[in-house]
Amino acid sequence: MEKTWRELIEELEARKAHLREGGGKELQEKEHAKGKLTARERIDLLCDPETFEEYDLFATHIGRDYGLDKKELPADGVIIGFGKVNGRGCMVYAEDFTVVAGTFGERHGKKICKIIDMARTYGYPVVGINDSGGARVTEQMGALSQYGQLFYRHIQASGVVPQIALIMGPVAGGQAYSPALMDFIFMVEKTSSMFIAGPPLVEAVVYEKTDEQSLGGPDVHARITGVSDGTWADDRECLAKTRELLSYLPLNNKERPPYLVPEDSPDRRTPELEEIIPTDQKRLYNMRKVIEVIVDRGSFFEIKKEFATNLIVGFARLNGHVVGIVANNPIKYNGALDYNASDKGSRFIRFCDAFNIPLINLQDVPGFLIGTKSEHNGIIRHGAKMLYAYGEATVPKITCVVRKAYAGGYLAMCSKDLGADVVYALPTAEICLMGPQGAVNILFRKEIAASPDPERTRAEREAEFMAKYVNPTYAASLQHVDDIIQPAELRIKLIRALEMTINKVEKSPDRKHGITPV
Amino acid sequence: MGCKVLAPMVGKIVKVKVKVGDKVERDQEIFVMESMKLESSVFSPCSGTIKEIKVSEGDRIEEDDLLAIIE
Repeated sequence: MEKTWRELIEELEARKAHLREGGGKELQEKEHAKGKLTARERIDLLCDPETFEEYDLFATHIGRDYGLDKKELPADGVIIGFGKVNGRGCMVYAEDFTVVAGTFGERHGKKICKIIDMARTYGYPVVGINDSGGARVTEQMGALSQYGQLFYRHIQASGVVPQIALIMGPVAGGQAYSPALMDFIFMVEKTSSMFIAGPPLVEAVVYEKTDEQSLGGPDVHARITGVSDGTWADDRECLAKTRELLSYLPLNNKERPPYLVPEDSPDRRTPELEEIIPTDQKRLYNMRKVIEVIVDRGSFFEIKKEFATNLIVGFARLNGHVVGIVANNPIKYNGALDYNASDKGSRFIRFCDAFNIPLINLQDVPGFLIGTKSEHNGIIRHGAKMLYAYGEATVPKITCVVRKAYAGGYLAMCSKDLGADVVYALPTAEICLMGPQGAVNILFRKEIAASPDPERTRAEREAEFMAKYVNPTYAASLQHVDDIIQPAELRIKLIRALEMTINKVEKSPDRKHGITPV
Repeated sequence: MGCKVLAPMVGKIVKVKVKVGDKVERDQEIFVMESMKLESSVFSPCSGTIKEIKVSEGDRIEEDDLLAIIE
């Protein structure tokens, strides 16, 4: 006898409900005990309520050996689908640790590849939630090949749609290169880790005793390696921050970033900057405070906050328009650019350029960091990335020289010569090829040596040099600066420059691609 | 308890503002250094008593050099 519709539907729903349980209640509770949410709970928090459409729930694993043919691995340990985040589309995949530790098998890999292909085809960002014990060893070439397929897809989607990786558990082995090929990586305190080989393998092969957190925990990647873009207290905060990050990004490279009707006034003056920025060039200040004052209130979303703290990068809004902020922070290295800051800055600039996000550059830079250590760290090839990234970027580029803008640092923080559309300077700006000390040593060495009072002669020559060359009026007289403005006018002027340049269209030379210094 | 005071960056010690035996508070300025055309302060990372000072005025320093020990 044929089944009735009611019976068919009940069977279907029972089957789906079973598959949605993943590895079952017991294993889900184990995850909760570790402080983690399950893959489905994470998707529910990431997406707007009732918007997630799942695909490939019925996908099965390909394992035939070691008794796996008799085992059921629901959805093959990864959930894929399309949902809405703040009302805008988003492709999602989430590995399910309750299904054989979220291990990456052939079908598992194919599902992730499918969702990234869909993201690229239909023009939506992709958020990947990683929580996996690594490759499923029983599937050998199936897993290895899918890693390759996945990497290839990340590369094809790069610069087409934003790709965000959330590390919410272990990400071990080759799989660590999947987030590395995406645009942003968020990690969760205590429960996340990333390394290409875990502690047991490290001990067996290179005889080093270590643990997951000191090998590749969130602190390591936020402070030392720069792999991570932000550490959050738990899964909930990480997912909320991902929603926030997406609110600054266009869905794809053909769109503009989302405009939000601002609550802050475009005419708000910023006299607080007179308190924050000391006119005494020897006194330090925190550039983060300057950023917070000039952008729409509360809109600054910082990226890589704990890495290379001599450079600040992040998204913000100016009169509702999304901008990327790149700013030297004198708090560390007096704002000098070192190799890590160059990595951090150039990557951020290239992201903004790829996704039509105008750049606001705040300069207080005494130059590239010099000395043996800096040279041996390769400041030449790393520093070149900053120049290249700015020179290559065709989005609006608006610069303000806050205080120091010395030598290569001035160029590497986007001067007119690297294509800045508008350059402002505060009266405290010191723009020059070489600081007065160095210049006077070269120009007046003989005179100082012969002087009855060498220190006085040196001081006089330095003061004269300062007055002549090291001030914004000199730079403005030669059109390197469009205007010299008061601190109180900075927000207003930046907004006006942004709104003037926002429709800028600039074509790069016709070529396959440039050869970015790395 | 106690802590080590490390050089924040390459440069030169311009002034030593404490001597052995001085009591210091956390975030108190204990050295003035110069680097990359700027003078800047080195602050105490903890409260305590200066046990040892490893540098004198005019000394060249590398990032992470030990400048002083506080206990």
